[in-house]
Amino acid sequence: MSLWLLKTVAPCMSYADNGACYQHTPPLWGPDGLIYNGSLVTCPRHYKQTTQSVSHFFFAPGAGPKGEDYLRAIVSFKTTYWPGWDVQRIDFDAESGQQVGQDWVGIWGQAWTGKATLGSYNAIYACMNSSTVINQVSSATVEPISGGWSVNPYNWNPKSIYFMAVVNRQDNLLAAVSSWTLDCWRNIGTTPERFAQMRLPNTLGYMAYESRNYCWIITKDGVILKADYQVPRWEMISRVNKPEVTATDFLITFDTRRKRVVVFRVRPDAEDGACRHQLEFYYPMVSPAQLTKPVPVTSLRANQRIILVAHLIGEAGEGVTPYTVNGKMALPVEGRLITPFSGTELNGRVCFQYQAPDQACEETLQLDVTVEES
Amino acid sequence: MYEKTFESTKLAAPGGASPQNWTQMIFVTPWDAFFCVNLWEWARIFRDGTKVAYGYPSGGYAPFPRVGGYTAFYSNGRVYGAYEIDQLPNPNESLNPDWAIDYGKAPSSLVGAFIDDLNHRYLHQPNANSVRVYDLATGAVLGTITHNAGEYFKSLNWVQHGQVAGICSVSGKVKIMDYLFGLNVLESGRIDPHRVAAYDSAFNVLVSIGMDNKTRVYCREAWPYALSNPVFDPPQVYGLKANAVKVRLTGQEGEPCPGWWVHWELTDTGGGVLGSLDKYVSKTDRDGYAWNLYYGPDDGAVGNCKIRVSVVLN
Repeated sequence: MSLWLLKTVAPCMSYADNGACYQHTPPLWGPDGLIYNGSLVTCPRHYKQTTQSVSHFFFAPGAGPKGEDYLRAIVSFKTTYWPGWDVQRIDFDAESGQQVGQDWVGIWGQAWTGKATLGSYNAIYACMNSSTVINQVSSATVEPISGGWSVNPYNWNPKSIYFMAVVNRQDNLLAAVSSWTLDCWRNIGTTPERFAQMRLPNTLGYMAYESRNYCWIITKDGVILKADYQVPRWEMISRVNKPEVTATDFLITFDTRRKRVVVFRVRPDAEDGACRHQLEFYYPMVSPAQLTKPVPVTSLRANQRIILVAHLIGEAGEGVTPYTVNGKMALPVEGRLITPFSGTELNGRVCFQYQAPDQACEETLQLDVTVEES
Repeated sequence: MYEKTFESTKLAAPGGASPQNWTQMIFVTPWDAFFCVNLWEWARIFRDGTKVAYGYPSGGYAPFPRVGGYTAFYSNGRVYGAYEIDQLPNPNESLNPDWAIDYGKAPSSLVGAFIDDLNHRYLHQPNANSVRVYDLATGAVLGTITHNAGEYFKSLNWVQHGQVAGICSVSGKVKIMDYLFGLNVLESGRIDPHRVAAYDSAFNVLVSIGMDNKTRVYCREAWPYALSNPVFDPPQVYGLKANAVKVRLTGQEGEPCPGWWVHWELTDTGGGVLGSLDKYVSKTDRDGYAWNLYYGPDDGAVGNCKIRVSVVLN
């Protein structure tokens, strides 16, 4: 299994336009007024804001005024206006990915709260930057809810400090990451026990809760993994579509209503300072990225049956199935292709058989596969 | 030398800001591809040279081959399995709970090791000419396979039940050995010198990544290296009689090359062509021998005549 790209919303948000740019960095004082971070409005840049960091991104079910589902990001900006920074909550419609709201939320949720994400009972949970506690936090401000659920893994055995956690209160489970390792805990309500660990392929970008069994992880370089944190084991490895599109950070969440993965790709600004962040919606389904070349794996001798092997794979090299790969010999053909088409196996492998003629020759096998776009 | 069936145009080049050479290459059965490692990268490499990097090494886990075509990781005396999906180490389950393997016997990128946790064996190379077989449960030495390759196997790869293939990267020597039943070398062969190589147990071929980062595939059939002079068997040649004559085609390691057509001809050495041959082509048998019959002259003529043999390679 891999990830099928449903759609990309790019850019998914925008900065406040200054309406003008200056040939030189404007002075802090004078007719152009009080300007912090003057580089933001020096030609060709003309926006009052740019992204400092995207500190939180999560699915907030029923967070809208009419109970709509939102995808929420807490973004801290560098600004030209006082006091030179700003922290805003940006709401996206979970269905379309369009921005539907933007609110000032204050710096505390961004500063004191670690990466927040959805957990049990449609609530949001987060590790704290300022302490070792994992708290239930407000979906609006990501600040801890007073009297809300909380645990402190530093009091557990072994003592642990986490950056990000997926909370499953129904089964008393916790899956948490410090940097390279996903720690799986059980009985967190009574006597917590770390029953398993899993090593990540790279440092953590962000994590998301899918269900009482599964969580999703995105690494700093855009590799996406799905883990069963109850067994535990890795269920899937894939990668964001078009990993070559520049990114400074990746955040992930799982839309538990629509059963799909949403990736927030934080991108550097365009030349004129415009925002280029994008939301990518994926459905957990096979998605081929490339077809490897056929390789002969038997002796290349006259009059022999020769086996050739190729693979249909996704962005992380994972095999994709079921697809049919068609083989065709380039003209002029001297031997015979015994297998005109072959179905992919679980690891994406296809095998072709070729009957070589009695004399020496040079032949070309061309492979193609048809992938239907949705 | 084994027959090379493929050389890639794609380069399986190590990535990163300052690329480091590949240090390990392990065939992974559920992937039908190779797990390749260097200092900065974990990658999946296909036979045609397609590379997909997906991670960074961490935590001091040293990968080496495991029975069945999987990766095992050595860390601090313990050996761990890997998750099938991504070959990431699974630190929850040790394959050698009863015997901690000390650093002296640990696998490295220069001296390969191998673990068979199904039959409780661990293979380590004490020197460049032998492989030692340990009992995984007790750490006792069960025996030694002497192969006399004269070079450490960079990797000891799984072939099939009870067999491993040791591959030397500098000389390209390959020794297929029995570590379970006979403790002996079953087959010797050779591939080109390379950076890393692995035995592909899905198709029984050897795959290497060269210094030029090209992948090469070798099937386990010896590519002809030497053709012996024709020999009469029995050695005495008579006129008016069919005299059996044989020639042997062998690879670089002296291994037989079966199934090749040998062309025969009688040549004149000054006294004219004497007698005749039964066949002009014959095929080498399992031991690399091709046979023919020589009929001596029926007119009582005496003199010298030469039998020439040749093989067309491609």
